[in-house]
Amino acid sequence: MNWDAFLFGASAALALIGALFAVALKNIFHNILGFALALVGVAGLFLTLGSDFLAIVLLLVYVGALGIAMVYAVMLSQPLDAPPRRRSAAKVTGAALLAAAVAGALWLVLRGARFPVRGGPLEVTPQWTGYRLLTDYVLAFELISVLLVVAMMGAVMVARRDRTQAGRERLARARAAEAGAAEAGEAP
Amino acid sequence: MTSLHAYLVVALLLFCIGLYGLVQRRSLVAMLIALELMLASVSLNVVAITSLSGTASSVGQVVAIILIGVAAAEGAVALSLFVAIQREVQSINVENLSELKG
Repeated sequence: MNWDAFLFGASAALALIGALFAVALKNIFHNILGFALALVGVAGLFLTLGSDFLAIVLLLVYVGALGIAMVYAVMLSQPLDAPPRRRSAAKVTGAALLAAAVAGALWLVLRGARFPVRGGPLEVTPQWTGYRLLTDYVLAFELISVLLVVAMMGAVMVARRDRTQAGRERLARARAAEAGAAEAGEAP
Repeated sequence: MTSLHAYLVVALLLFCIGLYGLVQRRSLVAMLIALELMLASVSLNVVAITSLSGTASSVGQVVAIILIGVAAAEGAVALSLFVAIQREVQSINVENLSELKG
């Protein structure tokens, strides 16, 4: 068994096991860890394809940024020790059947497909990717940066507490309660 | 040399696991995780096809970078929406978000 095949097998197994953890476990925090594991596997697959730069970017963006943001969202929303509610078996079976049907259909397409073979994976260096991004594909590059800025500003605006009238009232009540607690603490 | 079909089968399985999670889960964060898994499987598909077949592999790299950027933007907006929804409804379970139902 050569090194390439071993790396491919290990990465694919990591990706699939992580994906199963990410959707099948009950605890949302375990789901996030499984998601990170799956993305490490996908980054390994990118490495076997010779795309080192993409593998690093994938790790940074998905595992680093998105994983941490998900942990924050979970901490800000539901209590982790809340008991999970039961799911009706019919719905779970329906979801599994749908996924299996899509998998079967895609497999039928994939089985008959023939691709012209290249000798081996191309070495795609970061220099080469950067050069392409700033020459041939500069429009896509700029659009992505604009999209990211807009999304970031939108995210900040949406999550602001004083965005709605009810939110402003809640915020004022919370601040008043805090001030009251501080005074009560100082008085004795 | 691993064949292209092996990569495509791994991407197919990842996509369908993500689809199952998206349909089956009820927590919004869990649904977002499943959606991001599906996006990652698509970028794996694009990179595998363009670097093992055809002649131009530059397109695959650029498309994958764009996909990762879109996924990051989508995740940021979605997570901030979840925080806002949690604040309004005190839950991020989709079955409790039925305000628009007649």
